[in-house]
Amino acid sequence: MKYILVGSFFVSVLTGQSGYDIAKKLDEKEQPKDLIYRTSMVLTNSKGKTRTNTMISKSMDSNRRQMIWFLEPKDDKGVAFLKIEHDDGNDEWRLWLPAFKKVRRISSSKKSDSFMGSDLSYEDMTSRELSENTYNRLEDDVVDGRECYVLEIIPSKKLNSSYSKHISWVIKDGLVGLKEESYDKRGELKKKKEFQYKRLKDYHVIERIYVKDMQKNHTTEIMFKSIEVDSGIEKNLFQEKNLKRLPKK
Amino acid sequence: MNPFNSNHPIRAWFINRALNHPHFNIILTIGLTLTVGSGISFLTIDDDMMAMLPKDLDSRISWDAVQDEFGSTEVVFIAFGKKGRSIINSESFAALWDVTAALQERSVIDEVTCITTMSRIDSDDGFMLISDLQPSRELNMLEIERIDHYLNQNPSIRKRVLSRDKEYFNIMVQPLADIPHDIMRNTVVAVGDSVLSDFEVHYGGTAYITGSVPALIRNDISVLLRVGLVIMAMVLMINLRNPFAVGLVFAVIVQSLIVMVGFMGWMVFLTGSESFHFAIINTSMPIILLTIANSDGVHFITKFFKEIRIRKDTVKALEVTMDSLLVPIFLTSITTIAAFLSLSLAPIEQMMGYGVCISAGIGYAFFLSSTFLPAAIRIKKWNMNSKAISKASMFENMISYFGRLVTSNPRSILAAGVTIAVVGIYGLLWLNVDVNIAGFFKPGTEFRDSIDFIDQEMTGTMDIRVRVEGPIKSPELLKEMTGLQQMLEDNSKVTTSFSIADMVKQMHRVVMDNDPEFEMIPDERDKINNLFTMYSMSGDPDDFSTMVDYDYSVGLVTSLSRVMTTDEIISTVDKIESYTQGLKSVEKASVTGMAVVLRDLVYLIVESSIISIVASVLVIGLIASVFFKRLLWGVMAIIPLSVAIIINFGFMGLAGISLSHVTALLASIIIGVGVDFAIHYISQYRRLADRVEKNNLTRDVIDDVGYPIMLDSASNMAFGALLFSAFLPVQYIGGLMVFAMISTSVGTLTFLAAIAELLKDRLLEIET
Repeated sequence: MKYILVGSFFVSVLTGQSGYDIAKKLDEKEQPKDLIYRTSMVLTNSKGKTRTNTMISKSMDSNRRQMIWFLEPKDDKGVAFLKIEHDDGNDEWRLWLPAFKKVRRISSSKKSDSFMGSDLSYEDMTSRELSENTYNRLEDDVVDGRECYVLEIIPSKKLNSSYSKHISWVIKDGLVGLKEESYDKRGELKKKKEFQYKRLKDYHVIERIYVKDMQKNHTTEIMFKSIEVDSGIEKNLFQEKNLKRLPKK
Repeated sequence: MNPFNSNHPIRAWFINRALNHPHFNIILTIGLTLTVGSGISFLTIDDDMMAMLPKDLDSRISWDAVQDEFGSTEVVFIAFGKKGRSIINSESFAALWDVTAALQERSVIDEVTCITTMSRIDSDDGFMLISDLQPSRELNMLEIERIDHYLNQNPSIRKRVLSRDKEYFNIMVQPLADIPHDIMRNTVVAVGDSVLSDFEVHYGGTAYITGSVPALIRNDISVLLRVGLVIMAMVLMINLRNPFAVGLVFAVIVQSLIVMVGFMGWMVFLTGSESFHFAIINTSMPIILLTIANSDGVHFITKFFKEIRIRKDTVKALEVTMDSLLVPIFLTSITTIAAFLSLSLAPIEQMMGYGVCISAGIGYAFFLSSTFLPAAIRIKKWNMNSKAISKASMFENMISYFGRLVTSNPRSILAAGVTIAVVGIYGLLWLNVDVNIAGFFKPGTEFRDSIDFIDQEMTGTMDIRVRVEGPIKSPELLKEMTGLQQMLEDNSKVTTSFSIADMVKQMHRVVMDNDPEFEMIPDERDKINNLFTMYSMSGDPDDFSTMVDYDYSVGLVTSLSRVMTTDEIISTVDKIESYTQGLKSVEKASVTGMAVVLRDLVYLIVESSIISIVASVLVIGLIASVFFKRLLWGVMAIIPLSVAIIINFGFMGLAGISLSHVTALLASIIIGVGVDFAIHYISQYRRLADRVEKNNLTRDVIDDVGYPIMLDSASNMAFGALLFSAFLPVQYIGGLMVFAMISTSVGTLTFLAAIAELLKDRLLEIET
């Protein structure tokens, strides 16, 4: 899943550089060849009601190929999702609907739509292309005793983003993203995001994402468990027929 | 100087102050007026009609629950286009895009629903695509055709966004929760008028109406009130024939009004209570206080003129006037205050503030009549030879006719009065309650035309919502929701309905390769689960937030309809309730929507009015019995106003004028004025009982109080100017005000007088 990229985006060694330079190095950060993890995603609305989803994800090529199997809630058990990204932008999304015994291709052209009712939109989960954003370096900051670079990221008009800008804090020591604020088109604060990482092999791998929609007072907490990197997943896993079988792990 | 000989110490004190310290009295009262009046700066005008609704009203509870679970359901509709021209063109789509963007930028707006913001679900060869219905501002012909085709394929969506003849786009604008409708209305109209200046623009929706009506009514009444005051001044001038005297009556009225409004402001400042906000319901307060303050001033001035004509001495005339009128005016004030304080019994919070503040104004009018008015008369040098003083006025001359009529035909008059009252009671049976706010406006007015347009060409102005509790993902429940929608749409006034069941049916069709046969609720719950999961992966689950709650345990069926009468609303709600009781999978269903809430509000106001009328009449009867020391006098004090209320509301029933929260307030005016007339009559009757020969008593009483009663009544009829209002209920108030003045004044001088004449032996026995 692409929120892994949200984390890896921040990983780089950066000192005394422009906003663009920092972003470029973050973008060039080395990624795991493949990833396996189990996630639990807890959604909480403004009245404190919660929904929990548990999924298994397997991905490779920086998440360009990914399969997700739904375990919980009971209503969703057995539903599975396959995504294959192509360079021309015509990504393939396929969904296995066990009750219909059908695989259906799906697509959403609405980047601002929420993913699975969470506070993360498809735009949030997509890595930012350097050429489609303007990166301004703001005054450095100290957050919880940790020195951070602060970047202002302004999406270009052609991107037709649902945001007017993002402010991102990147920890200097270890160079990982710590938090981010995203502002809507009216310039009002829309989302606050927090990230936590763990070190696995040579990678900083994200283990928690917390997002709060400030306008809806709705939160999403995603915990990544049983993370495995570079475990040798093969390309032929990413086929329709494999959607129908829940993996053992 | 102490020429007075009043036999009561308090009355003597007031007379002494007026006669011997007039300048002090005037300075004191004006100072007090300005001090209390300074509270006007704290006056809070509240145009949010929903603030009036008691929070424990059943439909309000359901309504609040719906707002809480699904966001504000009260929308403003914007329809724009050009008559006779298709709206399906690139310029119109660009305008739709622009106005949507402008609306979305406003902080009070939560959601805009129209072609620009809607998603489309397409299926092609097993491929499901969810995308924007309008992909961009600039559309080519192919894109326009795709939108048109999609809407033709989905008539229930089309009905919500496009007029039948495709000449107008429709936009539904939903406010953020807790945004008052007047603010919402003003924001939407400002955006619509500025962005859509090249189109015909119509607005509608209950939020638009309730957001517009209070300010419109207030502005309308304030203009007509001024016209009424001018006519009142003219009537007084023709009869009193003295500008200073007319000025004095107006000085009492204006100061009372200032104090009432200032008092209201101070109460807001001191208590912070919303009960003291000036809401739509308070609009009638100035008119009611005007009639009561006018009554005090008119009785005082006419009595003084009569006495000075006889005595040729200002001080003596003033002394007799005060001695004769202080108690009746005090008594009329006390009884009217008691009547208005009984409004506190009403379940509507603002009615308590209404009663308290108007009571402050009435009390102050009495205070002015006892202090300011005699003091101002005292310092004026009166010309004994002026026509105003030396000659009786037109009305005065007419009054003797009543005296002769009553004394010569008391039984006939009583019989005629009883007959009219019986007809009134019969008319009550036909009295209809209606709160169709759109019906406030005369056909042909701009506002009414706009509402009618939305009603005829689009989805209609009203909404009825059914909140359904149960397992929403269950096929049985979804099928029952579909049945409920069908039942709603069988009503000829309902234009469309929608619920989560529609979305499930549409998704089912798309998954099954767009086969129309599958546009139905699947039989298995697992399939429904899969459909929702599929949508959450490819679309935004927030798209369902106006139809189903977070837990999928509460659903909302929304039906839009043309304006219904209150009777139609009642009948529709009854049918829905009866229908939902037979549903097995629905655990609980409640009907709500602004129309239903307003219906309940009206019943509440009418119920409050009845409680307040009965309580007022009882309290007035009790107070009059205590002051006049006999129960019989108390009963007689309430006869004219009771009969006037019956006749007025009976007349409304016969004339087909509906009882609404506006016309129901007429009872307060009748009580306020009617009790004054009766008490003045009884006071004078008792006063003259031991001074006048028995057979001349009724004629002398009518001679004495008849003129001020008739003048008071005639000058209050100036508010017949309300007949020129743009609002039908206000027009009715204007017409009924004239009717009420005639019925209360003529009723007192004939019906009450005839009863007193027939019972004179008994009454004189009591007095002696």
